[in-house]
Amino acid sequence: MTVRTIEVRERVMAKNDEIAADVRRRLGAAAVPAFNLVSSPGAGKTLLLERTLAQLGREFRIAVVTGDVQTQNDADRLARHTDRLVQAVVTGGACHLDARQIATALEAVDLGATDLLFIENVGNLVCPASWDLGENAKIVLFSVTEGEDKPVKYPKMFREARVAMLTKMDLLPHVPFSVTRAVDYALQVNPALEILFASALAPDGLAEWYGFLRARLLHRHAA
Amino acid sequence: MHELSIALEVGRLAEERLGADGVGSLVTVGVEVGDDAGVEIGSLEFCLEAVLATPPFRRARPVIERLPGDVLRLAYLEVDDDRPDD
Repeated sequence: MTVRTIEVRERVMAKNDEIAADVRRRLGAAAVPAFNLVSSPGAGKTLLLERTLAQLGREFRIAVVTGDVQTQNDADRLARHTDRLVQAVVTGGACHLDARQIATALEAVDLGATDLLFIENVGNLVCPASWDLGENAKIVLFSVTEGEDKPVKYPKMFREARVAMLTKMDLLPHVPFSVTRAVDYALQVNPALEILFASALAPDGLAEWYGFLRARLLHRHAA
Repeated sequence: MHELSIALEVGRLAEERLGADGVGSLVTVGVEVGDDAGVEIGSLEFCLEAVLATPPFRRARPVIERLPGDVLRLAYLEVDDDRPDD
């Protein structure tokens, strides 16, 4: 037996990151900001997008790519709030979206007629943290019905995110949840995190979110 | 379970490097995994064993080295050029 060693030293994610870089170039060339929404299942990603499409869909041309392990229920829900194509990616068991899936989904999106792209990732606070999809920013949602310590339990996701959104704020009177502790934990993991507070069911509960998006889009038009 | 995706990508990289015919002589696959890479070592090892037992591979052995940081890379391949064909 003659064994020889071949040095490789190649990053496992290199191919994904190469495709993600290409997606980022395409989005950048079309001046389309892209936000990758990540959270545990049930934190409110789909409802946030439903409300956002209903509220801002006439003001901005919004494209959505939504990923689920099985079913295209989320895409069907979102399609009721927009006349634009909602791209459903059924991962068939995979716990995250990857850049190749986004690149393929974008082939059906007219980026020249798009102001904003949302990617709704598979509900999972672990795996999607490792995959660059070519987005401008990951936005991690966690709800007040989850533990305040989510950021320290899932630090990679909160380190990778630029924005953390605390959702279901209208439920605060009914659950033992310390907003102060949750924010402290989030900033402890990632001091640069921008923190937003949201309730998709309360009147004006998404005002801060809409302000965040409008600011990004105005900045885009100014640039 | 993104460890399976990672294992499949390791297999793809090995095949890309050695060619579909060359991977038959592969005996060891060295992978470096950082403590902050978001990878569960036991799960990755299990997935790599499964991938490397599937043609065109012929039961190559994964060797995972844990490192600080968030590195995740295929470090080396060991091939046995004298390995007989089945």
